[in-house]
Amino acid sequence: MKRFLLTLLFSVAIAISANAKLNVVATLPDFGSLAREIGGDKADVTILAKPTEDPHFVDARPSFVVALRNADVLIDGGAELEIGWLPPLLQNARNPKIETGKPGRVIAAQNIRLMNVPGNVTRAAGDVHALGNPHFMTDPIIAKAVAQHIAQSFAAVDPPNAAFYQANYTKFESEINAKLQEWGAAMLPFKGQNVVAYHDSWPYFAHRFAINIDIFLEPKPGIPPSPSHLVEVIAQMKAQHIKAIIVEPFQNRKSAERVAEATGAKVVDFAQFPGGLPGADSYIKLMDAMISRLAAALK
Amino acid sequence: MKKFIWVAVTVWPVAIAFGQGLATEPSSLPSSNSTPAATADVEALRQQVQALTETVKALQQQMKDQNAAHGKTNEGDAALPENGGTSSVTSTSSEGRDGARPSSSPSTTASSRFPTDDASVVASTPAAKPRTNPGVNENGAALPGAFPTTDSSSVTSSTNDVSIVAGGSSLTAPISIGGGGKNYMNISFDAMFALAYSSDKHLDHIEVGDHDPQQRGFNARNIELAFDGAVDPYFEGFANIVFKLDNDNQTEIEVEEAFLQTTNLPFNLQLKAGQFFAAFGRINPTHPHTWDFADAPLVHGRLLGPDGLRGVGAQISWTLPLPWYSQLLLGMQNGRGGTGFSFRNPGDNGIFFGRMTTDREMRGLQDFVWIPRMENSFNLSDTQTVLIGASGAFGSNDTGANTRTQIYGGDFLYKWKSSHADGGFPFVKWQTEFMYRRFEAGRGMDETFPVAETFHDWGMYSQMLWGFKKGWVAGIRGDYLQNTDSHFTDDPDRQTRSRMSANLTWYPTEFSKVRLQYNHDFFEDTFFLAGRDADSVFLQFEFILGAHGAHKF
Repeated sequence: MKRFLLTLLFSVAIAISANAKLNVVATLPDFGSLAREIGGDKADVTILAKPTEDPHFVDARPSFVVALRNADVLIDGGAELEIGWLPPLLQNARNPKIETGKPGRVIAAQNIRLMNVPGNVTRAAGDVHALGNPHFMTDPIIAKAVAQHIAQSFAAVDPPNAAFYQANYTKFESEINAKLQEWGAAMLPFKGQNVVAYHDSWPYFAHRFAINIDIFLEPKPGIPPSPSHLVEVIAQMKAQHIKAIIVEPFQNRKSAERVAEATGAKVVDFAQFPGGLPGADSYIKLMDAMISRLAAALK
Repeated sequence: MKKFIWVAVTVWPVAIAFGQGLATEPSSLPSSNSTPAATADVEALRQQVQALTETVKALQQQMKDQNAAHGKTNEGDAALPENGGTSSVTSTSSEGRDGARPSSSPSTTASSRFPTDDASVVASTPAAKPRTNPGVNENGAALPGAFPTTDSSSVTSSTNDVSIVAGGSSLTAPISIGGGGKNYMNISFDAMFALAYSSDKHLDHIEVGDHDPQQRGFNARNIELAFDGAVDPYFEGFANIVFKLDNDNQTEIEVEEAFLQTTNLPFNLQLKAGQFFAAFGRINPTHPHTWDFADAPLVHGRLLGPDGLRGVGAQISWTLPLPWYSQLLLGMQNGRGGTGFSFRNPGDNGIFFGRMTTDREMRGLQDFVWIPRMENSFNLSDTQTVLIGASGAFGSNDTGANTRTQIYGGDFLYKWKSSHADGGFPFVKWQTEFMYRRFEAGRGMDETFPVAETFHDWGMYSQMLWGFKKGWVAGIRGDYLQNTDSHFTDDPDRQTRSRMSANLTWYPTEFSKVRLQYNHDFFEDTFFLAGRDADSVFLQFEFILGAHGAHKF
């Protein structure tokens, strides 16, 4: 019996280690989408968080430990977005390949200039991130840099396929460059317009497409909308003739709808993560969907 | 005079063109109405414009070659446009002067291209060659409008540190992201209080945990300082120092936990050593502020002890190479004193379960508490997770010369969390633990107690938590504890009892909470004690300062 169990264990272990594909874990679906673009059929990508859930609060499910233990590459944001759930997983995963500083660890925020770095860190201001706003992937130019970072990591971890990853990156880069022309043209008529969002997840998107997203339904990051704050928002929206309110899948759409009703604005469903909007299962499709939705609402 | 005006009119747009960053095409200048002198002037200016444009282009090319966008052109464009086109789109000021592309550029060609690069957001791609002068801040000044100023010192062009392609970068290479990573350890301070009322005057008899409310009125039973961080490339360290106020407001200090843990042993092994909570069941290894109720379950407080089972020792754990989460742990601890409650515990005033305890020194391996545990977890679906564990604790106790204690435990956790969870809500969590203790109660020191008996005690609790709205959790819990009724021992801790609890918790953020809990306690008569029920109400409040407490599953 004992021998049988041991044999079973070893065969399972061998089966797992014999998997020739690059095992990639991405904490969030946006990184996962880029990893799939770069890795193609040579990488198995596991995404931890669901595209429709709040990335700040993800359950550290034990199955994630297994994924991280078997990972050749881990892609995480590194700007405190996953700080509430990733550290204990990494502790338990005991995987030296994905330690900080190893080629198998892609910290996406590396070399990204984060916006809205608070000068004075106080939680009285709500859920602030000391390193700056961590929702940087909504800027396609930043996404390109992250994709390149991923390609380099893949190449370092899996040198025989380095050229393949590099080629995929080049392809992705030119796709994004071409798409940027489309997106830029679609958003151009709305340059300088104000848009309201539920949470401050969109400064990078706003910066890229030259709109302003500075008014939020949340009175402070992470604090649910209060009636008095919504009254203020409604007044601001009326004064500035704001036409759109951006809401993500996990956010309370009802408060957005109430504000929309009072102001005549439209509620626009956005998502930071591929898979968060129907049919938008890749980064480019997601950006396509968001740009067209927003442009339609601002018309 | 007329001529002068003509010249002025002719020159003026050119001046404007210069002022506007050379946006205007020279060919758009009016030429039909110019005198020869004016035409010559215009021609000179045009040449100047072209020369300038060439210079700018050359400069851009140069910068591109260096792959460093130091310095800026006069137009305030910090970007390094890949397509020789416009740069950043950032001028969100509402000037909209020409309805053309977002910003003008010194280059008149390809000005309709949307920028596909932006050096102001991507400090430098990892591929970039190591910069000879890393101190150069390529984004000399902030872009106007939407891009708030970032401290240039917080943005490192850490190309050298990334060195992903180079590989084998050392563990100590600094990783610079924004302003982070400046502390060698995380520090947090957590204070938990309770305003309590009970129909029984002696709340300390009703409540079984040392961090539970102990008296009517206000209680401060768990004020803790927590530290953690990487010790070096091989170890991580953790410490929890707890301050408790007793019922006379005197401060007691506990070194609740202080241990180091390996970070990169091979074969998925991990070693832990120091003072720590035994990995027994769900509640025992956790700190009271993470509990879903204001007090400890009966079975936990009575079988493992008011402080839980913890002590100085070591533990090895192994995650099995299986496709699901499966972990084996084996701990050993001294098991001596009040935190080894059912083991080598001298008891209050040297009495435990009526016996004068032996309080002997350790004789050998059998006097350690050995704590094996196995846990497995499965995902039932994308939103549902189950964790099943079995634990044991085996060692000697102090009620006789060779008396032993065995505790067995089983635990079960089910959790559902919405796929559209906002701040972790809504969720449903069902947790149940069962424990059985076999306790050989000897005849005490020098065989002074009349009999030796063996107690078979068991108990369980089951609790259901429902996070129904962001920040709001409702819970119910049932508790049962069955102690062998002894005709020889009058210890009130051996009373068979049960409890029903209900509570409502509000988490304004993850750093604070307010909880209202109601308990109804049932007591069964024993040979020595009369049973009488008790009702208790607690208003618990808590705050956390400092490091973000990450949550284990």
